[in-house]
Amino acid sequence: MHIICCIKQVPDTAEVRIDPDTNTLVRAGVESISNPYDIVALEEAVSLKDRYGGVVTALCMGPPQAEVSLREALSLGADRVILLSDRAFAGADTLATSYTLSKAMEKLSREDPIDLVFCGKQAIDGDTAQTGPGIATRLGYTQFTYVLSVDWVDLQKRQIQVTRKSQGGREVIRGSLPALLTAELELAVPRRASLPLLISSLQAQVEVWDARSLEASLNELGIKGSPTWVRAITSPPARQGGPAFDVSREGDVGAVSKALDTLMDEKGFLSKLLRKWED
Amino acid sequence: MVKNSKGIEVAQILQDKCIACQICIGECPVGAIELSPEGVAHVDAEVCIGCGKCQESCPVEAVQFERARKKELSREERGMPPVGIPGYDGVAVFIEVQDGKGVQVSWELMGKARELADKLSTRVMGFLLGEEGIARIAQDAFAYGCDEVHLSEHPVLEGYRSAPYGHALTHLCETVKPEILLMGATYLGRDLAGIVATHLKTGLTADCTGLSIEDKTRLLLMTRPTFGGNIMATIYCEHRRPQMSTVRPMVMRLPERVPGREGRVVLHEWSPPPMDLPEIVELVGDALEGGPDIVQSAALVVAGRGACDPQAFHLLQELADVVGGTLACSRPVVEAGLMPYERQVGQTGKTVAPKLYIAVGVSGAIQHLVAIQGAEKIVAINPDPNAPIFKVANVGIVGDYARVIPEFINQLKHRMGA
Repeated sequence: MHIICCIKQVPDTAEVRIDPDTNTLVRAGVESISNPYDIVALEEAVSLKDRYGGVVTALCMGPPQAEVSLREALSLGADRVILLSDRAFAGADTLATSYTLSKAMEKLSREDPIDLVFCGKQAIDGDTAQTGPGIATRLGYTQFTYVLSVDWVDLQKRQIQVTRKSQGGREVIRGSLPALLTAELELAVPRRASLPLLISSLQAQVEVWDARSLEASLNELGIKGSPTWVRAITSPPARQGGPAFDVSREGDVGAVSKALDTLMDEKGFLSKLLRKWED
Repeated sequence: MVKNSKGIEVAQILQDKCIACQICIGECPVGAIELSPEGVAHVDAEVCIGCGKCQESCPVEAVQFERARKKELSREERGMPPVGIPGYDGVAVFIEVQDGKGVQVSWELMGKARELADKLSTRVMGFLLGEEGIARIAQDAFAYGCDEVHLSEHPVLEGYRSAPYGHALTHLCETVKPEILLMGATYLGRDLAGIVATHLKTGLTADCTGLSIEDKTRLLLMTRPTFGGNIMATIYCEHRRPQMSTVRPMVMRLPERVPGREGRVVLHEWSPPPMDLPEIVELVGDALEGGPDIVQSAALVVAGRGACDPQAFHLLQELADVVGGTLACSRPVVEAGLMPYERQVGQTGKTVAPKLYIAVGVSGAIQHLVAIQGAEKIVAINPDPNAPIFKVANVGIVGDYARVIPEFINQLKHRMGA
């Protein structure tokens, strides 16, 4: 079985913010990490390989330093890693990104037909969840988003069954291979890298593919192939807070009483509460 | 001004403004810009030809370049009409159907679509897909302000599956040609939007919290949280149509329902191309797992890291019962395995807009705060007076919840006359 796993290198977003005084980006100490959902997806890809045999190829589109994420993929059990890196890829939105990744998969599929593609359900920097469906649509693969578990793969009948999140619950769904799956965190628990793999991953040569090797149309790559543009960047809107009452100063009874006074200050709040919000 | 050895002015990147979007890297005609290991753009001074393209393309004014470029005249200055793509007109909302009814987020979007359409002096459309008889939902769409419902019916569209819905909605867009298409950022909406945008080769902006029309250009400005909610980005899509956007439930206000309001229904023939259809083997409802829907609840009592204790949940549930609300939580509680994901409020959980939001031991990380912007009243209970949640709470109590909540319940019951 030939399994592809897409990995994105992202800034550790919990750390990125805007300084409200200067309206500039504070990036001191912000590290790059592999998107956590992608690492979960990789774990599932590797465990399916262990179960059904085959190879896992990890793909990452990004600047040269993104190869760190691919070395991590090697240490976690990927057999082959390819970095898609070219100036022409820079500034890509999700449409151009899915184009670039799907061109790489077409090329890989010519060498060894692809059975499964894994992506994280979304990347933690953009949270769009669009690149996976974009790739599946371009390649005409069966699409399963928000996958919680892979129940089985039948390589003879070319079928797969997964359990996925859907509106209002979960669904168990089966469809044909090749298929593209996007991973929820519940899909797998990533392993720790073993020492031998860790060492060999650091010594491995990372393949780099550029626009020419993908036989890609330059107009569909990077900034040229991206219909969406950023107009402005701002801080999140601020909400005006009210008073806080400290029990160490007011006592439990006093603090709660003053808090409730403040809350009930709004006309009709108590009656809304009494009617259990029905209006 | 910084010059290189050839005497050409070199563009300077302002490190603290650069957002590493890499647009300048793609625009630079000589490949002089690279992303540094620190994650900001870096200009190779000797390669730079001083053309200033990077400055023009930078969305955040992070490129400093003193020499004035020959200014490109705007369309307006050249006496041309504002952009817009001929043949595309109207604001469309995809009407998501669940259990035979339109879901609320679709009606919330109908209200927003009305506002955008009025600004553009155009009409509001609903796009509806389903099995035969689905047209009955059009009446609800009209009641919420829709002018026309365009629909396709087919047995294959009974129950959502990615490929046929993707194909059918793409077909509606190609036939009706709306200028704007809005969809709910639900599991279904996010699964579907990416397919349709890819078929149509158009721009799609996810999870928008603000949508407006820019006067001069008539473009849709789509504002969304990014970098985990720490930053808001305003996105636009100039050259492709429709301009597509998804919006989470409870972000836009539900418009007033006007029963009996009328509109036009247009049926569009559609049949699926030959395709291998996935088969849904089993459906398991949320009711069996996560309990009541926190998004629909008018009042929420929310356990945070500081109340990450199953012992505390009885007390919190008691408070929830008194205020007629539901128990919810922040991310650490889900990560500790103490509540299901369906109960999680936040950037990676659900966006909520209840009338009353009582945060217990929630510190108020930005990823949590972005998802409670729409709450009417926020009450915070936390022992740390410096917790960021107090900055947004309408009222706060600094103290240990185990002592504060029993007193809170006691006094509240008294005021409620119990």
